[in-house]
Amino acid sequence: MLAPDPRAARALEHWQARRRWARAGLVYAVMLAFAIVFVGPLLFAAISSLRTDPLAYPPTLAIPQLQPKNWSAAARLGNTGAGDRWFGGFEPGAAVPFEVTYFVPDGVEPSDPEVVVPRRRPGAGLGAVLAIEFAADHAVVSPIERRADVPMQVDDGDGAIAGRRVTYAFTIAYEGEGPRIDRLPLDVTAAAGMRYLDSTLTASRLERRGRTASFDNVAPGVLGYVLRNYVRTFQEVRSPATRESLFLAWIGNSFAFAFFRIVVTLAIASMAGYALARLRFRGRETIFVLVLFAQMVPLQVLFISNYLVLRDGIFTIGGFPLSTLWGYPGGMLNSLTGLVFVTALNAGAVFIMKQFFESIPREVEEAAMIDGAGHWRRYWSVVLPMARPALGALTILTFQGAWNDFFWPFIVLTSPETIKTLPIGLLSFRNTYGAVGDWGLILAGAVMSALPVIVLFVVFQRYFLEGVSFGGGKE
Amino acid sequence: MRNHRSDTVAAYLFLLPFLALLAVFFLYATARAVYFSFTDYDLFRPPNWVGWRNYVSLFSDALFMAALRNSILFAAIVTAVQTFLALVMAAVLNQRVRGIGLFRAAFYMPSITSSVVITLIFLWMFQRRGLINYLNESLQRAAPVLLAFLVLVVALQALQVAWERRRSLPAGWADPALLVVSLLVAGAVTWVLVVTGVVGYRDVAPVDFIWLQTRDSIPAGAPFWLSVPIPLAAIMIQNVFTTIPTFMLMYLAALQDVPRSHYEAAAIDGANATQQFFRITIPSVAPVTFLVLTLSMIGTLQMFDQVAVFGDAAPLRSVVTLAYFVYNRMFPGAQTPEVGFAAAGAMFLALLTLVVVLLQRRLVRSEGV
Repeated sequence: MLAPDPRAARALEHWQARRRWARAGLVYAVMLAFAIVFVGPLLFAAISSLRTDPLAYPPTLAIPQLQPKNWSAAARLGNTGAGDRWFGGFEPGAAVPFEVTYFVPDGVEPSDPEVVVPRRRPGAGLGAVLAIEFAADHAVVSPIERRADVPMQVDDGDGAIAGRRVTYAFTIAYEGEGPRIDRLPLDVTAAAGMRYLDSTLTASRLERRGRTASFDNVAPGVLGYVLRNYVRTFQEVRSPATRESLFLAWIGNSFAFAFFRIVVTLAIASMAGYALARLRFRGRETIFVLVLFAQMVPLQVLFISNYLVLRDGIFTIGGFPLSTLWGYPGGMLNSLTGLVFVTALNAGAVFIMKQFFESIPREVEEAAMIDGAGHWRRYWSVVLPMARPALGALTILTFQGAWNDFFWPFIVLTSPETIKTLPIGLLSFRNTYGAVGDWGLILAGAVMSALPVIVLFVVFQRYFLEGVSFGGGKE
Repeated sequence: MRNHRSDTVAAYLFLLPFLALLAVFFLYATARAVYFSFTDYDLFRPPNWVGWRNYVSLFSDALFMAALRNSILFAAIVTAVQTFLALVMAAVLNQRVRGIGLFRAAFYMPSITSSVVITLIFLWMFQRRGLINYLNESLQRAAPVLLAFLVLVVALQALQVAWERRRSLPAGWADPALLVVSLLVAGAVTWVLVVTGVVGYRDVAPVDFIWLQTRDSIPAGAPFWLSVPIPLAAIMIQNVFTTIPTFMLMYLAALQDVPRSHYEAAAIDGANATQQFFRITIPSVAPVTFLVLTLSMIGTLQMFDQVAVFGDAAPLRSVVTLAYFVYNRMFPGAQTPEVGFAAAGAMFLALLTLVVVLLQRRLVRSEGV
């Protein structure tokens, strides 16, 4: 091996190069595996949120909502139901044609299935207390017609069974006048021995040992079918008092909270950051020490007093809450103003701005100083316009923080339901729907509330990574 | 001098909003929390001074003891596991390869998503017939096939390495080029074995492990201070999952700065991959390890969101943490709020956090990093 043989040396080099390639390949494979592990649960939850029942066992990715056959059927049915290919419905004058196919083993006499439009309430919880129109009050099912009847075999593992494949067709009509109805549920029950194979739209679930094929909506439209749980979050979850969509209210509150928190944070942090970066003054060191401590003290120590500050004002005078003086006689609890107020202290943001201002050369300000500009002019018209990148990064990080914030909204926003932000709203989703196992709504809500931050992250990845390096990213 | 004074005035004007907030929401809040911890305040009637009573009775309160035990175990176990795994994963990925940005975005996904969303998704996966139990069941079903595959990989790799060494080529036991061949061939052979029916999938009953609605803990029969309630273990799994990627990327950034030549020198001296990991990788990322440990300890000690989202899905005593204990005593539903008691609990949490931070400072100084 020690001999300086050029051929052997070259061979060894080839051998090493092969190893580098192989190692790179393995590293990519491992990275891909890690990526699947870390994105997997989110992705799987997003796909499962399309299922009628995301808890159906076993968990699978082969779901009817992802089959193109059902998409076109859903569009066609939505069109016949209410002339709406996207969201469907059931309107006066509608005639919805439907087919169900069964396997009938030899020896079983095929008989017409029983077709019923049930009076079924959509979901439990908040949706259950609202007065709604039922399709059952207006729908009329036509006589059932036997269409195709062909011999076939079914193999269920214990050998083939001979029989026939029988298709039944019928039409559901909306007779007379009446309101437009969102959903047209259907139950089709076959005689014992007949086995459900297929239908115009795949059944939402099979009940009574497979005899009843149950459909949540046979005139859904494409989006009403594929994104059923998503449409439900807007349609079903309404305030019992005002019928206002709660989910929309939560989205609005989350955006409003994020917006005001961004404005407040940018103003306070840029001003404080400027002073700490540029001005020499007595007490500067004390402020740094205070800020350092402020970041170490747990929220739970501070929230006791801060809750009371929102309720009573800073202190009470002889049992008389000071907050009545500010025009909040009931205190600032259950208001977005109170929430913005109590989350406005953000030492991390001040540090980001301070660091950025320190990176701007002092000469920039000197020209303005010679013109006799005061501190405010130097801050407002010279330094702040240059700080756009830092302000942008801070905007994005603050948005993420506000959008995901749980603790303070959880303390401050407790009632009514319409005042909540998305994370707190999702929690009341869990409390209402988790108990009855209706995870479709919960997952759909969770996915929707995760989307804005994910989109923001994909677009502005750089800012997030900088934010992490600024101090753990946690507030 | 004139200039200096105008500077001071201007500075305090600029700082006014920030300092006002700091005074009300931090200084005043801390002082009041300390004060309340010595009173019997209940949110409605004026507080009365009770001295150390709250602190003393904390230790005879079953919920507080459960919270203390849960918080300490949670912080210790989660920190240890996620720091170690993050470092190992970073070491595995420590190669200069293109396109890492795309993967990095994927790794960050769990940590930018809100804790409520992640917790809801995990609650769904931890249901009795959820994804976690299903994966467990699938693993058991596929165990013979996986075992056959692993045995084949090891055998093929050993064979090839022996062969290369006979040709006096410096092949290590985990030689990447040979490993690729071993993996591919073992995969193909396993497939043939499954198709021909030599090895097959086992029939197993669905796994019905109850993660949430249970008062059991692991290990069963362990003393109070060492037993982890099963719902708490579920939150641990979730927390490790969401935090590993962030720490891994912090480690990865540090590892990329370690000179290649250190590893090459060690390889020439005959150090194998494991020795390199312990002798070079771990010492050279020590500063990051201190940072990761501190961030992780502080974050896990203050764990609150997950407990709140779990709510009645798990027994309170099995998941309660110090942070949640404080909230629970402040807003105990139908009972009278015990603000003094809550404040005393909060002081305890602050003390623990402070100890962690001071300990880290101390260690960093003595290590000279």
